[in-house]
Amino acid sequence: MMHDITIGQFFPGNSIIHRMDPRMKLILTFIYIIVIFVCKNFWSLGVMVLALIIMVLLSKVPVKVILKSIKPIAIIITFTAILNIFYVSDGDPLFDWRFIHITTGGIYTAIFMIIRIIALVVASSLLTYTTSPTLITDGIERLLSPLKFMKNSVHTIAMMMTIALRFIPTLVDEFEKITNAQKARGADLETGTLVERAKALVPVLVPLFITSFRRAYELAFAMECRCYHGAEGRTRMKIMKYSKLDAFALLFICVVTGGVVALNILFVHII
Amino acid sequence: MSILRTDNLTHKYSVGTPFEVTALDSVSLDIEEGELVAVIGHTGSGKSTLIQHFNGLLKPSEGKVYVDGKDIWESKQSLREARFKVGLCFQYPEYQLFEETVYKDIAFGPRNMGLSDDEIDARVRRAAEFTGVTDEMLEKSPFDLSGGEKRRVAIAGVMAMEPKILILDEPTSGLDPKGRDTILELIRDYRERTGSTVMIVSHSMEDVADIATKVLVVNSSKIMSYDTVPNTYKRAAELLEVGLDVPSVTKIFMELHDRGLPVRTDIYTVEQGIEEINKLRLEGVNL
Ligand SMILES: Nc1ncnc2c1ncn2[C@@H]1O[C@H](COP(=O)(O)OP(=O)(O)OP(=O)(O)O)[C@@H](O)[C@H]1O
Ligand SMILES: [Mg+2]
Repeated sequence: MMHDITIGQFFPGNSIIHRMDPRMKLILTFIYIIVIFVCKNFWSLGVMVLALIIMVLLSKVPVKVILKSIKPIAIIITFTAILNIFYVSDGDPLFDWRFIHITTGGIYTAIFMIIRIIALVVASSLLTYTTSPTLITDGIERLLSPLKFMKNSVHTIAMMMTIALRFIPTLVDEFEKITNAQKARGADLETGTLVERAKALVPVLVPLFITSFRRAYELAFAMECRCYHGAEGRTRMKIMKYSKLDAFALLFICVVTGGVVALNILFVHII
Repeated sequence: MSILRTDNLTHKYSVGTPFEVTALDSVSLDIEEGELVAVIGHTGSGKSTLIQHFNGLLKPSEGKVYVDGKDIWESKQSLREARFKVGLCFQYPEYQLFEETVYKDIAFGPRNMGLSDDEIDARVRRAAEFTGVTDEMLEKSPFDLSGGEKRRVAIAGVMAMEPKILILDEPTSGLDPKGRDTILELIRDYRERTGSTVMIVSHSMEDVADIATKVLVVNSSKIMSYDTVPNTYKRAAELLEVGLDVPSVTKIFMELHDRGLPVRTDIYTVEQGIEEINKLRLEGVNL
């Protein structure tokens, strides 16, 4: 059951996108998300989708895996679409019955929103598919480190995130192991009412919590034993360097942004 | 009739991702009732994967698993039956304790089986006695026990279900020699008293050679051999080749054999070694 969570799952590879500097990937994803909200019509949105498709193809992450990241938000997509269809009342009326009025404007907006949400999710998934979680937190820390006045807290937060991310697979593993052990003792976790199933989780969660606390203590001791004392005077083992690749990527997103702005001006806005 | 049977059992993890591994590859196996089988193999050879198929925790990617002659994946009913017929005790079982008292924790399995309160009580006390869990310990919180005590409580929790087949994954890992001997002894006693089939997974054959009737050697997702203890040791050279350790006595006799002495190489206990040397002396071989 835990294996269905794909957001934040790293998909190892050696593509151009994988090799980019994590800081640049973070910046680009951020820009992409902003620009996608700048899009005002299907033309500019089309440019964004095209750019995304190019990036997905370059990353060599199988399309099937990418599509899986959309599954968890299917409900949100449907909900947004329905709301827009019913509440937007511009354009020509298509359907009128008592209190239900559907217009072309509503349909267009709904489609626009669906594409926008999917592009958002796919773009951020692409970041996490092609960048390992530790590199992401490392990248965030380095991007924020110029903020000298909060340097220490940036480091602390980044360290906490790294540790949390590092232990997610361990916890999932542990959860599965304990579940199996209790199932072997006849625990029934799959059938029954919601309350029954919640109760059936107690034999799994109690050992899970106890192990987690034990782990946290051990890790803290181990870090102290190796003289960890926060950001003060800490140097880095791995140096991040921007390469030509990152320059190209930046150029690419600039061109795309320019295209979006131009198309926004050239064609009528639909939202 | 065989009590456990697998038919071309194949198991793959993470199918359809770049992490796909074949942990078991067409394993066909037949285990008779009443045996005490030692399952040995290198780290990552597939031992744990294999045993988790016997009570249906893992579903075969291909092939069939039969418990007591019944295909366990035939229906929900047969799967549930297999869960209770096969008692599986995982590695480091002490991390699965969760109840307020040791008594309640041991009773967890029997309670899930839907037994009456009297029967549950009888089984808990029997299992506790078996594993040397005292009445005083029964009332304690499982988290207040020592590591070795926790281990015994966890094993008692599986024994209390009185399974026809008891399977333990590395029951002795992380224990000192005395704790190890205690656990192995109580497993042997359990089998002798109940006549159940027992499987013990282990890294080291030396540990389990004394008590096992059969040895199942797993090597890179396949069964390398399934035979009696002496017959397995006859293939000591092969075992060493795949990275498994054999007892020091066996190594000594292999070395003697290589140097041209007419000795047997299927020796695995010191007593057998002494006997063999004495025999050579009687035969007048110059040592
Ligand atoms: N949940 C899992 N997901 C993916 N791969 C797994 C999983 N469990 C085991 N494997 C892989 O399957 C193979 C066999 O693992 P298994 O746990 O059966 O080995 P083992 O013989 O029990 O080893 P050990 O002696 O270390 O316990 C290994 O290569 C392992 O990496
Ligand atoms: Mg194992």
